[in-house]
Amino acid sequence: MTWQGNPDVSAARNLNTSGDTSALRQGADDFASWPDNSLMTAIVARNESAFAVLYDRYVDLVYSASLRVLGDAQLAEDATQDIFVRLWRRPESFVAERGRFVSWLMSVVRNRAVDELRARGRRRRREGGPGSEGDEETLAALPSDTDDPLSTAQLHEEQVVVRGALVCLPPDQRVALELAYFSGLTQQEIALMLHEPLGTVKTRIRLGMQKLRRSLRGQV
Amino acid sequence: MESTHVTQEQADEFAIGSLPPEVAYAVILHADTCAACRDIVGESQRAAAALVIGLRRYAPPERLKGRVLRDAGITRPGPVAWAARLLTAGAGIAAVVVAIASFAGLVSLRGQVDELRDGNAQLQTNIDGALPTKVELAALTRRLSDTEKNNADLLAAALGDRELLLALLSPDSDVADVIPVNDSVNAIGRFVWDDAQKKVWFVANKLAATQKDQTYQLWVNSGGRYISLGTFNPDAAGYARYETVVPQGLKSYESAVVTIETAGGASERSGPSVFVTDLSRIRR
Repeated sequence: MTWQGNPDVSAARNLNTSGDTSALRQGADDFASWPDNSLMTAIVARNESAFAVLYDRYVDLVYSASLRVLGDAQLAEDATQDIFVRLWRRPESFVAERGRFVSWLMSVVRNRAVDELRARGRRRRREGGPGSEGDEETLAALPSDTDDPLSTAQLHEEQVVVRGALVCLPPDQRVALELAYFSGLTQQEIALMLHEPLGTVKTRIRLGMQKLRRSLRGQV
Repeated sequence: MESTHVTQEQADEFAIGSLPPEVAYAVILHADTCAACRDIVGESQRAAAALVIGLRRYAPPERLKGRVLRDAGITRPGPVAWAARLLTAGAGIAAVVVAIASFAGLVSLRGQVDELRDGNAQLQTNIDGALPTKVELAALTRRLSDTEKNNADLLAAALGDRELLLALLSPDSDVADVIPVNDSVNAIGRFVWDDAQKKVWFVANKLAATQKDQTYQLWVNSGGRYISLGTFNPDAAGYARYETVVPQGLKSYESAVVTIETAGGASERSGPSVFVTDLSRIRR
């Protein structure tokens, strides 16, 4: 996921701080081609247009991940709102030197959603077979990416690559990974849920991550 | 963890959130100071993120963006806040209208003041134009007054002349010559005593003018005592005609004398004599 452009972050400090949404849209056009890290730098400088661009770029992803974890549209909406508002209020929590923005954002989304899930005591079993993504009833009622175009071509390309990598994963490895990642279960809990030895679960997770890394290495 | 590097297994478990919180925190701290471990953790995070990126994508409700922007304090305010803004704007517009109206009022007032000033200037012009007329009128009035005074003087003189003429024509009056005290006096004069009119006239011509602080004073000697009959001064031609009433109770008068006294007259004869006349021969 790479964005091209020649951002002038210092100039972004003085852009569109009026709260006027039309001005926000106008300013957003200027930031549309900026990479994530530059947008975050502009957001640290309290640039609202940069925030609007980042929101548009990742809101579907954040919402989808939240929905995947929580299985509830309203809860996912609340979690998405909370995540973006926190990002606006504390953008310095992202440290570019630690890694890519999207990785950091996904970990934030995952942790926020799992915390919510745990707080509500709504641990759900997700069997994790390919194509089974949580509460099918809830998800079926929502507009999906087949209905709405992706916000950016770059994100679409990356999604194609990732989906290809996920398809290549053996189902048992993918299920173990998804139970850990989306359901917030410990490896012990996964073992109990799957009626598998803890060692087996650990191995599946390790092998699954290894394959994902290899598949995505040089691709993303 | 700070003393030992992060293993790949730890990095994977960290990325999918399977590490206990305290161990996950230790991984973060170590990765901040170790570039190699940071790369390992970063690669695991990218792989974990792929689990999300590869998800089927769902679009949130349209209203969510408005909620986020409002909650973040970015988007425009709601109807109530808009109403407040409109009220504020309305108040501002009202203030501008009031200011304009006030300005217009000031302009109008200024116009009235200018009109008054113009009127005042015109009035002053009229006054200035009327001033010569006023001065002329004052001069005319003054000349009229002088003329009236002259007329009164002429009338008085005519009356005096008439009375003097009557006295000269009266069989009851006496006329006595007055004699200059020294030869340098060229003036001539007469003293007329009219018993019927109880008046006395002193008439002289070529009489020298006195000093400013001096006057001629007429005296009558009665029993060795000089009684003042009054003061007089000649006109520019040296002519003098002085008349007075005979003092009551005056029974005898031997002579009369004209002296030069201090202006305003003296109570006692003290100045030099100019004329003398013998009154012993006039009838009583």
